Amino acid sequence: MTGMRISNEKSVGTSVLPDEARPLLDGEARFLNDISFPGMYHVAFLRSQYAHARLRNVDVGKARELPGVIKVLTGADLFGKVDPFRSMPNRFSGGESVQHWLAVEKVRFCGEAICAVVAEDRATAEDAIELIEVDYDPLPVITDAREGEKDGSPLVHDTCPNNYLIRRDYKRGPVDEAFETAHLTVKRSFSIGRKQALCLEGRGCVAAFRKDGFELSVWMSHQLPYVVRHYLAKHLGMAETEIRVVAPQTGGGFGQKASIYPEEFVCTYLARMLRRPVKWVEDRFENMVASTHAREQDIEVELALDKDGRILALRSDVWVDVGAYSTYLWSAGMEPLQTGGLMPGPYKVPAFQYSTRGVATNKTPVGPYRAVGRPSASASLELLLNEAARKLGMDAAEIRMRNMIRQEDMPYRNANNLVHDNVGYMPCLQMALSKASYDALRAEQGKPSPNGKLRGIGVACFAELTGLGTSTAVGPGTLLQPGRDAVTLRLETSGVLTIAAALPSQGQRIATAMRQVAADETGIALEDISCLTNDTGMAPYGFGTFASRTAVFGSGAVIQAATELRRRILALAAFLLDEPEDRLAIVNSVVQTVDRSKTLTLRDMAEHSFFSAKDIPMELNQGFEVTAFYDPKHGSFAAGAHVVVVDVDPDTGAVEIVRYVAAEDVGRLINPAVVEGQIIGGIAQGVGEALLEELIYDEQGQPRTVTLADYLVPSALEVPRIELHHANTPSGALGGFKGCGEGSIIGALGGIACAVSDALAQRGGDIHEFPATPERVLRGLGVDFGDD
Amino acid sequence: MAREKAIEVTVNGITHRKTVSVRTSLADFLRDHLYLTGTHIGCEHGVCGACTVSVNGKAVRSCLMLAVQADAKQITTIEGLRDENGEWNEMQKAFFENFALQCGYCTPGFLTSAIELLRENPDPSEAEIREYLSGNICRCSGYQAIIDAVQAAAAATRAQRQA
Ligand code: FES
Ligand code: FES
Repeated sequence: MTGMRISNEKSVGTSVLPDEARPLLDGEARFLNDISFPGMYHVAFLRSQYAHARLRNVDVGKARELPGVIKVLTGADLFGKVDPFRSMPNRFSGGESVQHWLAVEKVRFCGEAICAVVAEDRATAEDAIELIEVDYDPLPVITDAREGEKDGSPLVHDTCPNNYLIRRDYKRGPVDEAFETAHLTVKRSFSIGRKQALCLEGRGCVAAFRKDGFELSVWMSHQLPYVVRHYLAKHLGMAETEIRVVAPQTGGGFGQKASIYPEEFVCTYLARMLRRPVKWVEDRFENMVASTHAREQDIEVELALDKDGRILALRSDVWVDVGAYSTYLWSAGMEPLQTGGLMPGPYKVPAFQYSTRGVATNKTPVGPYRAVGRPSASASLELLLNEAARKLGMDAAEIRMRNMIRQEDMPYRNANNLVHDNVGYMPCLQMALSKASYDALRAEQGKPSPNGKLRGIGVACFAELTGLGTSTAVGPGTLLQPGRDAVTLRLETSGVLTIAAALPSQGQRIATAMRQVAADETGIALEDISCLTNDTGMAPYGFGTFASRTAVFGSGAVIQAATELRRRILALAAFLLDEPEDRLAIVNSVVQTVDRSKTLTLRDMAEHSFFSAKDIPMELNQGFEVTAFYDPKHGSFAAGAHVVVVDVDPDTGAVEIVRYVAAEDVGRLINPAVVEGQIIGGIAQGVGEALLEELIYDEQGQPRTVTLADYLVPSALEVPRIELHHANTPSGALGGFKGCGEGSIIGALGGIACAVSDALAQRGGDIHEFPATPERVLRGLGVDFGDD
Repeated sequence: MAREKAIEVTVNGITHRKTVSVRTSLADFLRDHLYLTGTHIGCEHGVCGACTVSVNGKAVRSCLMLAVQADAKQITTIEGLRDENGEWNEMQKAFFENFALQCGYCTPGFLTSAIELLRENPDPSEAEIREYLSGNICRCSGYQAIIDAVQAAAAATRAQRQA
């Protein structure tokens, strides 16, 4: 290393207050809907009222005549002009789906876009939508994965036999032998409802066309601006250099804003065609029916164990209702493959088998959402471990300890072929148990309850693969391997540092985190560093923000770029100060000798080297702009253990979380307060997943939950105070960082599910379907609803 | 019935005279007519609370109120929260220092509701804060940092009064 680093050592690891939050507190941040241009048109979509129907006729005549309407666009208008979305290929079986931007011939889910209306204002566009007459020919509807896969079921796509968009059968190790010879085998079913990310701000875009500079500028509430740019160019037949994509201030993403959807692409087409800016902002109804859903799984899981409670084999069958189309870019494989393939979690599984299916139905497509596939994988196994423990007369914590991958086992390759290293599963579990006073909780549970409630205690442990590099795919075995991101560090002529990356934030304070890492790595003072994360016009290449990767990739790239930038700064400073490089250090934006006898501010150096460089040898003045890519190759496992205590009211079925203790390993912390916000926010969404949130459809495929009054998300009353503890083990990635955005929702579903099941067990009851609504809880206690 | 009406509304201390369509919501009026885009719309259904503003000192969901109903009223939006010296008020400060916002889309509504809570109850317990803010949805934070911020703002405000 050149020079000594003695400055700013403490930025990483401290809760630096995030400057980028300031405009949000003044109401001056600019979200998508806050962007407008003179002469801008507004777009509204006509959406299918049927879950499955042939479109006999679409009559837009009256809509076109309404004053203020500029254009009505149908699927037929686009057909042959733009490439539809075809499912991303994978190595497994299952057919291809083709999604037209506006429906052609058939509609396959309620809410699918059929026409786009462009008008002078949104109200007129919506009025025109009402004037479009669609002649539907209803077709048989599939609303259930296990029905849909049966031979002879109606097909959502003629190209997908048994409605499989994906199917994978995996086996490794002596599974059958283990089940034949095991001391104990246990089996259990588990299901989780359909839910959605529910970003408080919906999707939306503004697309503007002009003939000079970037022909197409697109502001989109999105997590992956470069990926959007790539696919816009591909589908519109444009050069990438003609397109600029900006993700403005974004009101939540959680994966829902990481897919490619038709609506935004239609808007870009319209902007080019009309040569005017156009805007579309999703309303809540559209968000409920036309932005991706998540989960909706049925799982059957079996364990073979020896007499000491050690797992010999794990076997599962997974059905995922993935909706009408293979979500573009990610494919329908995400949930099914991750649920099937990642089920072993932090436990040693010597033999492993699963069959997993993504079955097309006439519902909104399922796409990425926080911790894709893993909450249900983990919860189903955690519940089954409890069942095994009960049968063996063993404590729930004990059976987990006996099966956990321990420090001394690492690196450990599990039967799903993933290698565990640099991760503390046991430290997390031990910390969670001791902080919760687990033994005391169990002792107290044994005493009669004063208020007639049933007390349940849940323990759940999880593994979460974060920061996936190029050797790990987003779904096991898929061909999409997003593993490289770049950062540019640029010392401006005034001596301040700009960090540019295409790693947009939806509230994760990425700019602050990157600034902290850069401050430590360069010696430039934090207040002299700014960070741009959202604009393909300014940032180097990157995949964007998803899959708990941004801190890992951004930091790794900053560290690499900073090494070179520091080298260049010190080389020039050595020349200007006439001192050997190894006597120089950068401290608080000043280059100084160790004894501080000579100093040179970065401002002076930068100005000098740019404006009056005559006296500087060329090889010392290569410019102070460095771009570095980082690819961590493998991912880093993060971990956690949650202990949850619930009280279940046996009369009403209401579940109250009375205590929540979490211990997490998310590697080296950059900004602890930000990390804690990510973890606690994830747990809150897990509370919704475990107890409240469910998107309901009737048999005709009509959505019944289309407002926030019928789709319940947790409020401050349902989310308990979280007692959060850190048990961090640095990762093998540069800087020792891991991702922290998703893991906690895995532990939350498992922990709460186990606690509810544990409470019901006191009356001989149990629960297999989640969310654990009051009705399901009462059924779990044997209450007869008189319906079968 | 007239489809448009002239109204006079005072927002953040400035009185505006505008003619609006009678179907325009207060939220749309603030955003589209006065360009005060700090007020956010999350559901247009009265459920999420993101659009909450203060009307004559009471927290109101601006998606459910019509602009014409705001005629002759005093409104404060997030853009008007700084004090007369241009400093953040205690609630803004506490939200910042307690990391009480992530995406910040819910923040304008939470600030308005929380300020009203402290006006009614200067020393609320955690349970009272949770109850009072249960009409505002935050999808990012898990609420904990928001509760901590409200408690911090309450303590700071009480300390100021005593000083
Ligand atoms: S937008 Fe007004 S309450 Fe949600
Ligand atoms: S901070 Fe995102 S909704 Fe509250």
